Amino acid sequence: MLNTSSLRPPDVANVEVRLSPEGITLLGSITTKEPDRSLGAFFRTVHDAALRSGLTELRVDVRGLGFVNSSAIRLFIDWAIWVSQPARTSYRLRFVRNPNVTWQRVSFPAIAQLAAEHVVIDDGR
Amino acid sequence: MAEHGETTPSRPLVLMRFRPVWTYIDGVREFCRFFCATTFKTTDLAERASVVVQETLENAVKYSTGGDDAELELCIESHGEKIEFSVSSVPDPTHLPTLRAELSSIAAQTPEQAYVAAFLRAAAEPDGASRLGLARIVHEGRTALSMQEEAGGRIRITATGTVC
Repeated sequence: MLNTSSLRPPDVANVEVRLSPEGITLLGSITTKEPDRSLGAFFRTVHDAALRSGLTELRVDVRGLGFVNSSAIRLFIDWAIWVSQPARTSYRLRFVRNPNVTWQRVSFPAIAQLAAEHVVIDDGR
Repeated sequence: MAEHGETTPSRPLVLMRFRPVWTYIDGVREFCRFFCATTFKTTDLAERASVVVQETLENAVKYSTGGDDAELELCIESHGEKIEFSVSSVPDPTHLPTLRAELSSIAAQTPEQAYVAAFLRAAAEPDGASRLGLARIVHEGRTALSMQEEAGGRIRITATGTVC
């Protein structure tokens, strides 16, 4: 289980971040200019916490993210790369998406190609 | 603005001019989404328009010179089944070679290939800029991109797709 006690979601316009022992849920939209400075840094702390906790799987539920810019898509690419870094005991990153949301349907297969052994795309119902 | 079907090729459906300020992008995108959904009665086009407008405006704002003539112009035109979104801006001239190369590279691949290639590049350059936007316009927005270079250092990026 993810230890969420030390994790503080950033305050970013139009996006809500919910924490649970299984991972995080994102709701709203991400269109800020430099989301790597806020959300990206937070995702990194979640990743580090997942490694410390020895998780086998972490859920990132994006079904409620209706729209994102390409800088936000970049954050998910970065996360896929982090979990696929060699020589680290890592976890499986499960992106729970809504295939009816265009950006999710189009982008996550390409992200999975980057780290096929570590990333799972889940068409959550 | 005019009702769909009342226009001539020389008269855009939407024509907006505004300063290159990031905080305007959300509002302009949502207007364009609403406009396309209302005018063409298709949510698919509205979603694609959102991607095209967001990414073209982000690029225009990021690379704009910011001088007195830096005003952006967003134009939406429709001719039959064809729809064009264009954004005119005055970018920093040092950005132009990168932009030309990016457009050439995208045009030489299928939209999906170009999108995956952009993801691979982003993955290989963890400290670099995302540079996914143009490939996203082509793949997710289902449009073809072109660039016109105009007088005074102004450029116009046009994304051409179909209404359906």
